[in-house]
Amino acid sequence: MSNSAPIFSRTLPNPVRWLLPIVIVLLFMAILIWLPWQARQMESNERQEQLIADTLWVEQSIRFQLGRHEESLRGLANEIANGHLTPEQLHQRMERLLRNGLELKRVMLVDPDGKVEASSEPSPPARAALGAASLEALDHARRSHNPIYAQPEAQSQNPAGTPGVLMMDLHFPVYKGDTWLGNLVASYQLSTILDEMVPWWFAQDNQITLLDRDDKMVASRSAAGPGHGVYTHKRGLDLPGVSLTLMTDSVKSEPQLLPNLLVGSVIALSLALLWSLLALWGHISRRLAAEGALRQQMSFRTAMENSLVTGLRARDLEGRISYVNPAFCQMVGFTAEELVGRSPPMPYWAPEVMAEYQHRLAGVLAGSHVPQFETIFQRKDGTRIPVLIFEAPLVDNEGRHTGYMGSILDITDRKRIEELNREHQEKLQASSRLATMGEIASMLAHELNQPLAAISSYTTGALNLMKRADSSGAALDCATLRPALEQASTQAQRAGQIIRSVHEFVKKREAERQDVGLQTMLDSINALIELQTRQLYVQMVVAIPADLPRVRADRMLIEQVLLNLTRNAIEAMANVPAGRRVLRIEALYDSAAGQVAVSVIDRGHGIPQEVAERLFSPFFSTKAEGMGMGLNICRTAIEFHGGTLTHRDNPPHGTIFTFTLPASGT
Amino acid sequence: MLHIVDDEAVVRDALSWLASSRGIPATAYEGGNRFLDFVETGSFDQAGDCVLLDVRMPDINGIAVFDQLALRGLTERLPVIFLTGHGDVPMAVDTLKRGAFDFFEKPFNDNQLMDRVQEGLARSREASTKAAIHARLATLSQREREVLDLILAGKMNKVVADELGISMRTVEVHRAHIFDKMQVKTAVELAGLLK
Repeated sequence: MSNSAPIFSRTLPNPVRWLLPIVIVLLFMAILIWLPWQARQMESNERQEQLIADTLWVEQSIRFQLGRHEESLRGLANEIANGHLTPEQLHQRMERLLRNGLELKRVMLVDPDGKVEASSEPSPPARAALGAASLEALDHARRSHNPIYAQPEAQSQNPAGTPGVLMMDLHFPVYKGDTWLGNLVASYQLSTILDEMVPWWFAQDNQITLLDRDDKMVASRSAAGPGHGVYTHKRGLDLPGVSLTLMTDSVKSEPQLLPNLLVGSVIALSLALLWSLLALWGHISRRLAAEGALRQQMSFRTAMENSLVTGLRARDLEGRISYVNPAFCQMVGFTAEELVGRSPPMPYWAPEVMAEYQHRLAGVLAGSHVPQFETIFQRKDGTRIPVLIFEAPLVDNEGRHTGYMGSILDITDRKRIEELNREHQEKLQASSRLATMGEIASMLAHELNQPLAAISSYTTGALNLMKRADSSGAALDCATLRPALEQASTQAQRAGQIIRSVHEFVKKREAERQDVGLQTMLDSINALIELQTRQLYVQMVVAIPADLPRVRADRMLIEQVLLNLTRNAIEAMANVPAGRRVLRIEALYDSAAGQVAVSVIDRGHGIPQEVAERLFSPFFSTKAEGMGMGLNICRTAIEFHGGTLTHRDNPPHGTIFTFTLPASGT
Repeated sequence: MLHIVDDEAVVRDALSWLASSRGIPATAYEGGNRFLDFVETGSFDQAGDCVLLDVRMPDINGIAVFDQLALRGLTERLPVIFLTGHGDVPMAVDTLKRGAFDFFEKPFNDNQLMDRVQEGLARSREASTKAAIHARLATLSQREREVLDLILAGKMNKVVADELGISMRTVEVHRAHIFDKMQVKTAVELAGLLK
């Protein structure tokens, strides 16, 4: 299994191959994480900028409103200085001011002594109860001739305002020429400034606060919202004499990191992507492992196929060869390239059994295959090899039947051994038969030779004497000849006795007859017959009725007859096409005659007329090595049993030998 | 003398009758051992002997008898004609190669057999004569053999004496002894005998 090592190393994941996708995936993930953050950052910036712009707008708006009030006060101051206005008119003007700006809670004219000369209030106090900051601003405004705002302070004494509410006073000095007539004091409620001057749409989203110079909250307008302190902006609101800070705080919360479905789905998708990548990786790893295992299996299988001495051949349903292994190529002498893809007829089909191949192929095409059969292949050099083929259906991974896989065994050696066995058997049989026959013949010859030789010698001697007497002219004494002729006669009788004793011997064999079934006798010689049929590819068909009565016979003799007749039949078919080589053994019971007729039928070359005439005569044989005793002995054996051995033609080809035997019990 | 060796009395009788009808004296033996007993006595016929030997015999078969004769160097003196039954031919041919005179397969032509018997007798006679001469030669002394060789070369007594370095008288004595032992009277007769 040393060759499996390189295969395994190839299945290991290549680090470089994996680096690139991993880096890309990591980059992709980083960007995915960074992008929402960046979006949030951008949104945040945008909101901040929006807030700044809005705050600026609000500041400008407040400033503008305050400026308008200043203008109104300036007009009022001028009119006061000119003295046009009656106190009634002044009061009305002041009320109008208040109506125009709700943030203004009180407008009054305070003379230099601190007396309230006129006021928007219906019943002003006699003296203006001004806070410290307001007084400071009053002084400041008188000296500077310019309107000055006082620091916001709680003016609980101001009846117009809510107690404890922070108020901011604007002191507008009124001069007539250089004469200070007093100050117009306008009191703003800081919270109302925010309520009135900031538009609703802004206030809805933002908390607006006014801070004094110490960053102390002086007024605030709250708004409900989830976030505080996320987006804030401070804007200085510098008024003469006072510096306030406008602080806005957006109620909008910080933008969410995963604010919407989009980002969520992107994340989810990327997670899914990651998961699928991992899954793919796992799958690929498993696949590579499986591939490695498969490759190992393949090499294992290839080595196995190459080491086999059994030929392997796969063919598809049309009979085309789809695979052959080296052993098969070696067996038939063709290369794999010459064979794979070939359609029938195959180059290794032997012409003489072509019909058999075609017949089998037709069967295969029809879908019925023979799992095991013997046939002959022709090598490229023309030599024949007997083969034994086992075939099994080839089924693909979808369960479809795609063809047949066959293993082919070269059975030349087996055949040769069988052949040797058969020859050996035959020789044994022949020699035993010859031994018996030879012994009887030799015994007969010796036994008969003696009297015949003696007769011959006596008569020759007698003739010699007669010749000598003739030539000498002397008379021949009969007495000299008598003993010789008497002896000759005795010997002739002895010869006759020998012949009679042979008949006696044959008669004795009757005692050995027994009731025996034809099938039993066939079974005992079946192995010998099969040896011959296999060698010549002869099909043997036995048709014996089950109710065939037994026969009364000398079993050994009848077996010998059957063996002789079947062998003749098989040999008669040696040179006919394989399809015709059928040996039939039939038996019939003739109840009228009380006889069983056994026929040995071949489809061979038949018996010509001139041969038929001498068929049963001794010493006649058509076979080169034949003794000419076979059929003669057969007939004698059958006749001993009281039966007959006859033959007739088996049209169109072949011969039928039929012998009859007495059925037992008749 | 024709020696008939066969276990069958009828065959022995018939062959004896046949031989007598041709004027050949015959003795019959009923088995190989009986015949070998006769061989042991060594009383062979001056007129020659011939053996008709049956191959198949119960006591000792013909081949074994023949081997015994060959062992004793008697196959010249006793020519053997085998009588074989059916199937014994290859065996008989083998014996022919080893020195048997002939073989006849039963049933045989009787007068042809007798012709061969007479030829066998003639050969036996010849062999017996040769054997007798050799026996006489064997009685000669070393010096007498030397003298004999020179006489056969046609040399005169004087030349012989000179060559052998002996006296004329001694040569004459040796010569007389040689003629006496070889049972001849003249040198010409001696040369004819040893031809």
